[in-house]
Amino acid sequence: MGVTETVVREAELDLTIAAVDDVSEGVVAIDLVSPDGGELPSWTPGAHVDLLLGDDLVRQYSLSSDPADRTRWRIAVLLTPDSRGGSKRIHEMRAGDPVRVRGPRNHFVLAAAPAYEFVAGGIGITPILPMIAEAEASGARWRLHYGGRTRTSMAFVDELARYGDKVTLVPQDELGHLDLATILGAPSPETLVYCCGPTPLLDAVESTCSTWPSGALHLERFTAQEVDTSGDQPFTVVFQRSGIEAVVPADRSIFAVARDHDVTVLGSCLEGICGTCETEVLEGDVDHRDSVLDDDERESNEVMMICVSRCRGSRLVLDL
Amino acid sequence: MTSTARSGRRSTVDFPLGSWYAVAASEAVGRQPVAARVLDRRVVVYRDSRGGPVALEDRCCHSSYPLSLGRVEGDDIRCGYSGFVYGPDGKVVSVPTQEQVPVGAAVTAYPTKEQGGFVWIWPGVAGRAALRDLPPLPWLASPDWVTFGGSWVTRAHASLLQDNFADITHITHLDPVAAPPVLASQPPPITVTVSEMTVTFGRTYPAAPLQAWQAEVLEVPVDSEHEQREEGAFLAPGLWVDRWDIEVKDQGDRDGTKTLYFTHAITPVDDRSTAHAWRVSRNFAPSPAATGTMEPLLRDYYLKVRGALETIQDVVDTDGPRRDVTVRADAAKVAVRKIMRRLAAEDGARPA
Repeated sequence: MGVTETVVREAELDLTIAAVDDVSEGVVAIDLVSPDGGELPSWTPGAHVDLLLGDDLVRQYSLSSDPADRTRWRIAVLLTPDSRGGSKRIHEMRAGDPVRVRGPRNHFVLAAAPAYEFVAGGIGITPILPMIAEAEASGARWRLHYGGRTRTSMAFVDELARYGDKVTLVPQDELGHLDLATILGAPSPETLVYCCGPTPLLDAVESTCSTWPSGALHLERFTAQEVDTSGDQPFTVVFQRSGIEAVVPADRSIFAVARDHDVTVLGSCLEGICGTCETEVLEGDVDHRDSVLDDDERESNEVMMICVSRCRGSRLVLDL
Repeated sequence: MTSTARSGRRSTVDFPLGSWYAVAASEAVGRQPVAARVLDRRVVVYRDSRGGPVALEDRCCHSSYPLSLGRVEGDDIRCGYSGFVYGPDGKVVSVPTQEQVPVGAAVTAYPTKEQGGFVWIWPGVAGRAALRDLPPLPWLASPDWVTFGGSWVTRAHASLLQDNFADITHITHLDPVAAPPVLASQPPPITVTVSEMTVTFGRTYPAAPLQAWQAEVLEVPVDSEHEQREEGAFLAPGLWVDRWDIEVKDQGDRDGTKTLYFTHAITPVDDRSTAHAWRVSRNFAPSPAATGTMEPLLRDYYLKVRGALETIQDVVDTDGPRRDVTVRADAAKVAVRKIMRRLAAEDGARPA
């Protein structure tokens, strides 16, 4: 009997930019369609895709359109002054340009609940848009607190108008920062909190929600968390399905070691934010360093992101 | 997020309520109410006066008598014990003993969809159903395709059926007659493609002689060599589709891509039994004789699968769950489990 080789990859699509619209100061919305007009893969609120913009230039953007519209995806991109190249490249794109897209995938899943508090900061509104549409459709109680630098910098304000007073706009130059202590001050057992925005907002929401029930807060980071790697030690990793045992040196990732041994692993951002390399843990104590898993998921020790996370002990056994 | 890794997954892979599940074949649903059980819920299905499917909780809110034992009147259904009448939205519209309908009296109404010759229901939060489509299954409805199939209940957890469909390597061992002969010597590599909601896995077989039954229905010489391509797809927790293309060459008029679709609707009944409806569709050899050749072979194969899964379930029930060893070829199975975990999280399941 011969050996069956198995190759795993994420879905990749060559799409066409159908439209580029200025939606607010510094933000463009990009519509992506299949060149043959065909249906795009299905996705759910909170999902994001990778745009493959060139060698080593891969960026994640949340889908902000209607999941029921299978002919079109919309992303929105803020031109950042300290851009690492992604947003600048996208702001130069025009209708008709081709773009290669990987995904979608979703690590910011909108769990069913009777009530939600949505908190968005700036361009962090993008995954929240399809979420509130779903919350509305499911008959849940919800509110959106949307902060931005100035009113003109805040994208999709027109689209939000139809929700009336469920949406509170907080332009910083007029009203100051989002008043998180008031918004999230009193934990409510049936309410889930979904937040996306710049790191300081995410950190503030996380700290304000410390008194909320475990599992109530869901947030999505698009910037990797700072991790002190100075004390990293080597450890042993076992890729159980492949029948391979290897040492992960202090200065290399499990992901890199898996690749060295021709173990098929999926990866994209390689900095713990996209969730592509999520792997089941069979044995061992994980040192989680990603920005994807919440505290409950970390404590369950069932899965890990092998691009950044390591081992607290001397040995990890993974389902690879 | 529900536990799958630590506690022995045989009994712990949760099927999400927020998904579409086939509840009955279209032709089985009419003006007579039909009873079904989906994810441990009693469901009654019938057609309203315009032929649209209605699915309600199958338990009168007054008497606990199954509505499926009552009768359909117009768009409504009357309980055969209490006489309570329910509208297609599940609300009580009249009761026999008083004018006033008790406030809030209702049973759950499930969103329905009719596609591919099945009636599907959405047991989750109703408002979400409209935002989630079910992939089209045109081969099951189009006159260009000939379809046969069957359905039964497998006494095994639905995740065992999933594992079976995600693994295209076991066919060699379970049913050498159905398996391409080339598998025994040089199995081609499997390519697994993962997206947020779907997993596909396929392989391309080099030109080689076909299985005897394939050569027979395609009317090609048994020793003629043809390329084949197999692609399986997890499209939803309750829907799997395998596609099989055979490239017929050097046979004159009969040349071209001959395609078979194997559609499987799997619906968890409870955590020990699963409704399995299978359909085999083809765009070639439309004769009843070809169906007569293929049908017993495939029925026999799927019955073998059912027997194997029931045996596995017996072992797990007798000796307790245990985590199975996986191999590299299980990549599709692992990817499907990952999506299932995600969908369970979406259902709102929280760690205990």
